[in-house]
Amino acid sequence: MIRKLALAGLAFAVMAAPLTTPAFADKLDDIIASGKLRCAVVLDFPPMGSRDENNEPIGYDVDVCNDLAGVLGVEAEIVETPFPDRIPALVSGRVDVGVASTSDTLERAKTVGFSIPYFAFTNVVLTREGTGIDSYESLKGHKVGSVAGVFEGIALEASVNEWNDPDGSFRSYQSQADVFLALAQGQIDATVVTSTVASATVKSGAYDGLKVGGDAPYLVDYVGLITLRNEYGLLNYLNLFVNQQIRTGRYEELYRKWIGEGELPNLTVPGVYY
Amino acid sequence: MFNYTFHWRPALNALPQMLEGAVVTLQIAVLSMIIGIAIGVVLAVMQGSRFRVFRGIASAWVEVARNTPALFQIYMAYFGLGQLGIHLDSFVALLAGITFNNAGYLAETFRGGLRAVPRTQVRAARSLGFGAFDAFRLIVMPQMFRAVFHPMTNQMVWAILMTSLGVIVGLNTDLTGVTQELNVRTFRTFEYFAIAAVLYYIIAKIVTLGARGIAWRLFKY
Repeated sequence: MIRKLALAGLAFAVMAAPLTTPAFADKLDDIIASGKLRCAVVLDFPPMGSRDENNEPIGYDVDVCNDLAGVLGVEAEIVETPFPDRIPALVSGRVDVGVASTSDTLERAKTVGFSIPYFAFTNVVLTREGTGIDSYESLKGHKVGSVAGVFEGIALEASVNEWNDPDGSFRSYQSQADVFLALAQGQIDATVVTSTVASATVKSGAYDGLKVGGDAPYLVDYVGLITLRNEYGLLNYLNLFVNQQIRTGRYEELYRKWIGEGELPNLTVPGVYY
Repeated sequence: MFNYTFHWRPALNALPQMLEGAVVTLQIAVLSMIIGIAIGVVLAVMQGSRFRVFRGIASAWVEVARNTPALFQIYMAYFGLGQLGIHLDSFVALLAGITFNNAGYLAETFRGGLRAVPRTQVRAARSLGFGAFDAFRLIVMPQMFRAVFHPMTNQMVWAILMTSLGVIVGLNTDLTGVTQELNVRTFRTFEYFAIAAVLYYIIAKIVTLGARGIAWRLFKY
């Protein structure tokens, strides 16, 4: 009994200790002191993140991480992180920030802190030759799939449930590569992906017979940089960083480099303060 | 050190959804065991066969099933067969993968079990007028199952835990699939995974205790 009490007391003391010690250094200090910025980047999501022929990480998000490390005066370390593992990686302290095209949903904001949007996606239907799919509406009654939990996947699953067609189904996979493989093999007939991913994938020719089958009528998918919710110092820094990227023209430069011609996605929402 | 505050209330609201997932998990595990036992018995008999072809097929199955990761077997059932134009549903692919694995392991277990039944039992049965098949079915099999019942329970628990690999082939209705969906939607990883771990533990525990009860009733002398 005494031993149990002592153990409970000890456990309580251990749990309470971090609450009582004042926090001197926050994450921003830690990053600067350690000389290293660890970014979670999704590397099967071209052109935002992928690997070149030497297996080195490349892409828009990789460059954003490098820029951020540059202004912080530290070294960037790219930590490859699949979509579903972004938050566990952040919370377990494996990475400092996520530069991982993370949609800023209110549900997620209960857990992580978002910067102002650093990019915005629109979504398109990606299908295979010969499926007869040419618009979002024609997905009804088809087997569709997406990466588990991404913005467009959640929206697509909601549509499938709403259509409630007995022939229709929704599958979620653990990586973008598995979705494309399933699509190319015919396990699913279509997926919804960001327009950037769709054009990069069709252009790469890695999968035969894939084509874009019309726009998906979703809201613009704004994505932010993410870090721990309580790291206000770092979040402030990230906001200013995003602002400066656009102000200095670096945003446009990176867009031209990785996505190409065309109009830059507008990162502001008219008629409202952030 | 640990920058996370647990939100248990919203996580527990998802419990009914997760319990539905647990039912699917149990379904897959039970089905894969029933089919696995049937195939396992056949494989065990084939391994003791006089014909080289049968022995070859059986040992190839057992070798592959036991010496490659279950994850790989399930992935092959889905994307491997998909490459050949055979499209298994995620549920079926997972079931096929686990069944393949179960049959391989159980075949070895059963082979041991068959060894444990004295050969004289067959001779005694035959001399009492049993046919070869009846002697196997009514005399050898019950004694074999008595010998291998506990290792079989082990495999059943293993099958339950293997169902968690369904997420790699797009299954989103089993316990791990449901958990992973909730996780990516809300990012409350630790709550959902903790609940899932508890549910897996409870399922596995019920199966072990249930098996002990069945063994006590069926196999007492």
